[in-house]
Amino acid sequence: MDINRRQFIKTGLVAATAANIGLTLTDAAWAEAKTFSKDWRWDKAVCRFCGVGCGIKVATHNKKIVATMADPDAPVNRGLNCIKGYFNGKILYGKDRLTQPLLRMKNGKFDKQGKFAPVSWDRAFDEMEKQLKKTHKELGPSGLAIMGSGQYTIQEGYAAVKLMKAGLRSNNIDPNARHCMASAVAGFIQTFGIDEPSGNYDDIEHTDTMVLWGANMAEMHPILWTRIVDRRKKHDKTRIVNLSTFSNMSSDMADLEIIFKPQTDLAIQNYIAREIVKRDAVNWDFVKKHCVFATGPYDIGYGMRATDKYAYKAEKDTQQKENIKILDKYEAIGQRKKTGESIKQNNRTSAGKHWLIQFEEFKKGVEPYTLDFVAELSKGDPDESLDAYKVKLKQLADWYIESGRKVVSFWTMGFNQHQRGTWVNEQAYMNHLLLGKQAHPGNGAFSLTGQPSACGTAREVGTFSHRLPADMVVANPKHRARAEDIWKLPANTLNPKPGSHITKIMRDLEDGSVKWLWVQVCNPFQGTGNANHWIKAAREKDNFVIVSDAYPGVSTKVADLVLPAAMIFEKWGGYGNAERRTQLWREQVPPPGDARSDVWQMLEFSKRIKIKDVWTQQKLPGLKSAGFVDGQLPDVMAEAKKMGYSPDSTLYEVLFATAEAKKMKYATDPVTKGHDNHTVTSLGEDWFPEKALFEEYAIFGRGHKHDLAHFDVYYRDDVRGLKWPVVNGKETHWRFNEKYDPYCKKGTEYDFYGPALKALPSGNIDKITNKEKTKLTGKAKIFFRPYAAPAEEPDKNYNMWLVTGRVLEHWHSGTMTRRVPELHRAVPNALIYMHAKDAKSRGLKNRDIAWLESRRGKIKVMVDTKGDRSRMPKGSVFVPWFDEAVFINKVTLDTTCPISKQMDFKKCAVKVYKA
Amino acid sequence: MKNTISVFIVTLFFTLPGMALSGNAVNDKDMGLSKTSVFDTPTPEPFKYSDKFPGTSQVLPRAYPDAPPQIPHNIDSFKPVTAKSNMCIGCHNNPSMRGKTVKGMATPMPESHYTDRRHAPDKVTDQLIGARYVCTQCHVPQSDAKELVDNTFDDKK
Repeated sequence: MDINRRQFIKTGLVAATAANIGLTLTDAAWAEAKTFSKDWRWDKAVCRFCGVGCGIKVATHNKKIVATMADPDAPVNRGLNCIKGYFNGKILYGKDRLTQPLLRMKNGKFDKQGKFAPVSWDRAFDEMEKQLKKTHKELGPSGLAIMGSGQYTIQEGYAAVKLMKAGLRSNNIDPNARHCMASAVAGFIQTFGIDEPSGNYDDIEHTDTMVLWGANMAEMHPILWTRIVDRRKKHDKTRIVNLSTFSNMSSDMADLEIIFKPQTDLAIQNYIAREIVKRDAVNWDFVKKHCVFATGPYDIGYGMRATDKYAYKAEKDTQQKENIKILDKYEAIGQRKKTGESIKQNNRTSAGKHWLIQFEEFKKGVEPYTLDFVAELSKGDPDESLDAYKVKLKQLADWYIESGRKVVSFWTMGFNQHQRGTWVNEQAYMNHLLLGKQAHPGNGAFSLTGQPSACGTAREVGTFSHRLPADMVVANPKHRARAEDIWKLPANTLNPKPGSHITKIMRDLEDGSVKWLWVQVCNPFQGTGNANHWIKAAREKDNFVIVSDAYPGVSTKVADLVLPAAMIFEKWGGYGNAERRTQLWREQVPPPGDARSDVWQMLEFSKRIKIKDVWTQQKLPGLKSAGFVDGQLPDVMAEAKKMGYSPDSTLYEVLFATAEAKKMKYATDPVTKGHDNHTVTSLGEDWFPEKALFEEYAIFGRGHKHDLAHFDVYYRDDVRGLKWPVVNGKETHWRFNEKYDPYCKKGTEYDFYGPALKALPSGNIDKITNKEKTKLTGKAKIFFRPYAAPAEEPDKNYNMWLVTGRVLEHWHSGTMTRRVPELHRAVPNALIYMHAKDAKSRGLKNRDIAWLESRRGKIKVMVDTKGDRSRMPKGSVFVPWFDEAVFINKVTLDTTCPISKQMDFKKCAVKVYKA
Repeated sequence: MKNTISVFIVTLFFTLPGMALSGNAVNDKDMGLSKTSVFDTPTPEPFKYSDKFPGTSQVLPRAYPDAPPQIPHNIDSFKPVTAKSNMCIGCHNNPSMRGKTVKGMATPMPESHYTDRRHAPDKVTDQLIGARYVCTQCHVPQSDAKELVDNTFDDKK
């Protein structure tokens, strides 16, 4: 047996790979491999984990997954997965899968202090309905909230947005993706007027230079990293630069490593811009035709609460900076002001406003960012000499500027999770646009995403509190009208007031303005900074928290009701990756026990709400919008009746089981190929919800620069996802470039056609001087943004920087990967990575247990000083967040970028001492 | 009200046959991977990686046929894999022995590692492909940490 098994493993592996790359195999090997796998069904699918979006193949046998394989035909990954990707099949089979709804009960009744008792779906929905109606009556639609996800399937996100915005008329739906790429979105919208990258992953094989700005791609985007390393080995001219606040796995392959102080990337970008200007390297032909210059206010706060009412005593000094910031020496120079000047943060609620400036004003802005100034400010490793560091900064500028050298800048959380995340995103475009190195193969600033459908669902579907599908927003009456038309809603059903972003929903729970919360496909109570506030709010305040999840974790532990969810291969779905590639898969295996897909959960629950419950007049505190009575959503029942709805029509009938949807029969659909659909069977219907939701969603984007192909196309055997816009059956490889993008106007060469924020007032570097708006059709904006100091920096007491993030082997909060024994054994605990000398001076050595404490909380964590993964400069520590027992977000700070509202998980002040 | 009660009774007695509800109720601190309250501050469990030198350890079982083998020996002195230094390939890069296993010899990398699937998918070379250069992106060492929860995945080998 042992020999046979070993032989098989060898031959099976070879056969499997060889079959897909056209290698010849011996007949015997084939025969043996085939004997073993004759009953296996193989189908294409997508990796569950990061934003890269690798193609995989899934083998099933007797309704269980028995193997997965990296898909050799997938252009993203060409037959290679990372260590997590190889374990896609195993994540479904942790023994403690949630298989029944669980409700906190005492004496047969819901009780917030009760233990979790298994209940039926009916009982679970009864309580959800009762609690929803109670809160809706008390607070109106704004008392309800959904926390969604960048791991939602496209269909789940679409169903959630429709249920919440069209049905319940609440805009309080926001995804964990807010914490992941909201700054990228704001950067795109402000710069180009449309979301998502112009380039694609093939830029790697076209470029000469790859600059990583706060993106440890070797661990976080491992398959893109394999492509980068391959390019480095094949193309001699290739240079890799890793800019980071600590040395990491990406540094190991880099030609140049720049360790900078947290938040000073803002200054480094301006140094490069200044060099471009000083060396007369501006690509004026490009800039004059396609760009304008812009800037905005600096006094925008840090995204904290404006009041200290809810702050712990120790938090109050940091919180004060939300309202008044005293400029330090570097900010004063970088903002052309005086050191010690006290700046009232007047634009904290209008942080995104901006205006046009002339190039001469832009030049004034970047002028202070000399090599000397920026090097002194930004050098992040106390052991490095200033001179050596200056040489590196100059080398970086040289490579950006070198004529004929192609450059791609990549970034992820280092830029996005940043108190000035939108600014620093815009600065990346600033330099690429100044040089004309944008939007063609091998040249471009390329924002990567973290989650598998942060792009495809969170952004494109628009599961944000201010968004609608296809880049539309709730505050725009034309956008609402278009959505109401597609959704067949009475006029003014949609709520024009942007809802609460995910951090604000947490704060709303704490101050009682949200009392009914449904968490879907994420673990926000582990994943949100300053978590002590939020877990306490969930457990101790008067509210009802529902968590749909596959496994128990921190969020389920603080829930009142837990709903068991189907996992990726237990449902039909689709994801969209960071290069605009939409990929769909079939259900492969049934969900265990009573676990159900999130689509089913939303559709089934929507049967319990009638339009007369929610489409009558509703209070909405704070609503002020043209055509609306202040503080009120109108009664739309009269028009609803005219449209053929009855007051007793349910949201299920009106939103989901529409006449169009019901035409799509599951049983006869050509793509099903014998695969089950448990959403269909559990609903007891014969139509195909995932197809109906996808096709209806696609209406929003077609003809609006977000075109998707039809549902069936993505299931074709020869398709491995398609990059939108898909126009006339063809995907778009590079956007805004006439050669590749059918949406570009003929003869423009480049056309930055995004429509948002394309009429601006003008002014000088400091303020608006002419309110008259200028139209900017087809233009991209080159922003000047200054350096701004972090809200909290190390001091005598909290004397180190804390940086958080992920590790290669684990995904997000670890609920899936920590249940795979191989991945768990590879990295069992979250460690605190620190410099050996910092450890020694605190009486700590490798593998000791330390306390890690901030103004907000403290945890115990094991020390790592070995330096074979994350190598910290003195004064900084790194702790990953996958480990619920090392609950690092009790320590982190809930500042956000004031424009994007994305949380900064990369910098706060802590102390470390022996436990 | 009467309806609610009757639905509840039906739920209690009929839709969950055989389930003793009170007996199955679970405390939140007994759920999840760390059996603690979310308000607790647990102390991390110690763990260690294999201290065996290469050549002195057994090949570890694969999770399923196409799964990348895990590293059964200590790699402390081989990390990190850098552009200039890759200590792993010193032993595992042995194209002439591909597909063969010899006791005491490092497992040679298979043909897939010598095939550039992006640019020349039909050609097996004798040159390790750049995309496969950083070994630890797919192959990881295993510590002695106990599983936090059983996994019932079965590859039908």
